[in-house]
Amino acid sequence: MALAQQVQPQRDPGGRADLARRVAGSPALQLVARRLLTAIPVLLGVTFLTFVVMNILPGNPAQLILGINASPAAIHKLEVQLGLDHPFWDRYWLWLDGLLHGNLGIAYSNQQSVNSDIAQYLPVTCWLLLYALVGALAGGVIVAVLAARKPNGLFDRLSLAVSMIGLSFAPYTLAVCLGWLFAVKLGWFHIIDSSLGNNPFTAIKNLTLPAASIGFGLFSVYTRLLRADIVEQMEREDYIVTAKAKGVAQWRVLVVHATKNSLFTLITLVALNLGTLIGATAIIEPIFSLPGLGAELVNAININDLPLIEGIVVLFALVTVAGNLLADLLYTVLDPRIRYGRSAS
Amino acid sequence: MAAQLPDMTTTVPPPQPSLPSLVSSRRLKWRKAARALRLWVPAGILTLLLFLCFVWPYIYTIPPGNAGSILDSSLPPFSPGHWLGTDANGVDIFSMLVYGGQVSFEISLAVTAVGVIIGGTIGLAAGYFGGWTDSVLSRVIDVLIAFPALVLVLAIAEVLGPSELHLIWALSAFAIPAQARVFRGATMIARHAPYITAARLSGTGNWKIIFRHIMPNVIPGVVTFSLLGLGIIVILEGAVDFLGLGIQVPQPSWGEMIAKGQNVLIATPQYVLIPSLVLLILVMALNLLGDALRERWGVR
Repeated sequence: MALAQQVQPQRDPGGRADLARRVAGSPALQLVARRLLTAIPVLLGVTFLTFVVMNILPGNPAQLILGINASPAAIHKLEVQLGLDHPFWDRYWLWLDGLLHGNLGIAYSNQQSVNSDIAQYLPVTCWLLLYALVGALAGGVIVAVLAARKPNGLFDRLSLAVSMIGLSFAPYTLAVCLGWLFAVKLGWFHIIDSSLGNNPFTAIKNLTLPAASIGFGLFSVYTRLLRADIVEQMEREDYIVTAKAKGVAQWRVLVVHATKNSLFTLITLVALNLGTLIGATAIIEPIFSLPGLGAELVNAININDLPLIEGIVVLFALVTVAGNLLADLLYTVLDPRIRYGRSAS
Repeated sequence: MAAQLPDMTTTVPPPQPSLPSLVSSRRLKWRKAARALRLWVPAGILTLLLFLCFVWPYIYTIPPGNAGSILDSSLPPFSPGHWLGTDANGVDIFSMLVYGGQVSFEISLAVTAVGVIIGGTIGLAAGYFGGWTDSVLSRVIDVLIAFPALVLVLAIAEVLGPSELHLIWALSAFAIPAQARVFRGATMIARHAPYITAARLSGTGNWKIIFRHIMPNVIPGVVTFSLLGLGIIVILEGAVDFLGLGIQVPQPSWGEMIAKGQNVLIATPQYVLIPSLVLLILVMALNLLGDALRERWGVR
């Protein structure tokens, strides 16, 4: 701010030097920089917590790999090989060093690098999350706008009831119930064979039930939030009154003026909810036997494959941190009121 | 002596004719009743569920929830003596729901208590003292919140090993940062109120300001959030059981019932549908009660 005020008297409009100064002095950019800086300790903390949680495990990984009958000499040899004889901080430093270089270590179970394991399972999870997110967003925006058109009308009440059900459904019960209804009773989908195949149509069909299990809850959250926000704007904001007084058509006020502004809040919520979304894959993917990261995490937990668990957990956590950061940044960049209001204080 | 005071008892103003209402009185009455129903119906359902789980087994003998006779195996619902039927091992489904519900309630209430006490202390300190305290504590909260809740709970439950107590600690890793954030937000809003400045100027100590002046402003938000949080914890706890990392087999739990029923979904869907429905009703009652209280107290 101080910088921006200093350069103002000597600005030469259109000059490159002026542009550079304006960019450097922009309150939005300063805010973005500050947010990025505060994300660094959080990222470090996330890696540390992952490592601590995994390394206070009571069992000895070398013993777990070799089985109960292994000789102490063999166990010691493997311990040295895995680097388990080093002190805790050395091991954390080594692991962090590998992480920073994009190397997550070797999985115990199949002796492959964790990177290649993750690369193998990541696409399914990405498509699943994308499907769920896009479906929930599209449905949420449409239903919320229709509901907000007439608050307390029939459609509004109905949408509130549906979203309350969606909010209260546990993803796994929803998954099993959807599987029962659509696969067993109606026979529309398979729940046993859910490989994606090469055919995009089959892939979409096989991802529909898992995506619906994850997406219904999200859809409910989005609908509730967006509807409440639009209704509030329509009742309170001055620019709505102005638009109405100017004689702008009712639907145009609703869609172009109110909804457009409410979408900012929604976008930040989407980014904030990324963690919940990712967590849900760990339980939905095994139910539909989808070969994704979530299923692989549960599998790794069951066989105590530490490097693999660490790799997946840290990846999930980093994506969530990035989502939170993105939410913060979008909020500041998209909404000028916040951009200037906060940076002034 | 002071001047003679006017006799206060006689100055009651005469009753005014009531203003003509913009809304018909019948409609107003109806609206009031609907508002009351929105609060009392979910509260009633919750009370009923708590009663069935914790009191009913003591006043009425129900079959054990972890063992049954193989002679009674796979009875359909509405069988004599087993009104929700039995599973493949002859265990009464209603009893499993009751004992599993006890565990769900115990764990989710304990986790919420831990969240409110530990998370609340962190949030209050961060919000009240601000500055460096806030920066450091907020970063710690950010780190904990950054973890996808289910992933963190699974990892901790795995590390600690399966038991009810360990499950409580694992789930607290979700509840503590969430409560801390709610406490911090509400405290920060309350802290800038003029009466806090007044209290501080008049030399009131920090402890007294926090408990006398800030707490009453924080509590409504915390209660409504805790109700929503209870629903999330019940769902998370079920998820851990569902994956077989929580409550262990002889002891019944709703998540485990759903997981086991999933394998025989085609022949006997009721094994999945009954616990799913009960779980849905419990979480929905919690959500509706939270919503009703939020509306009543004007919490955002």
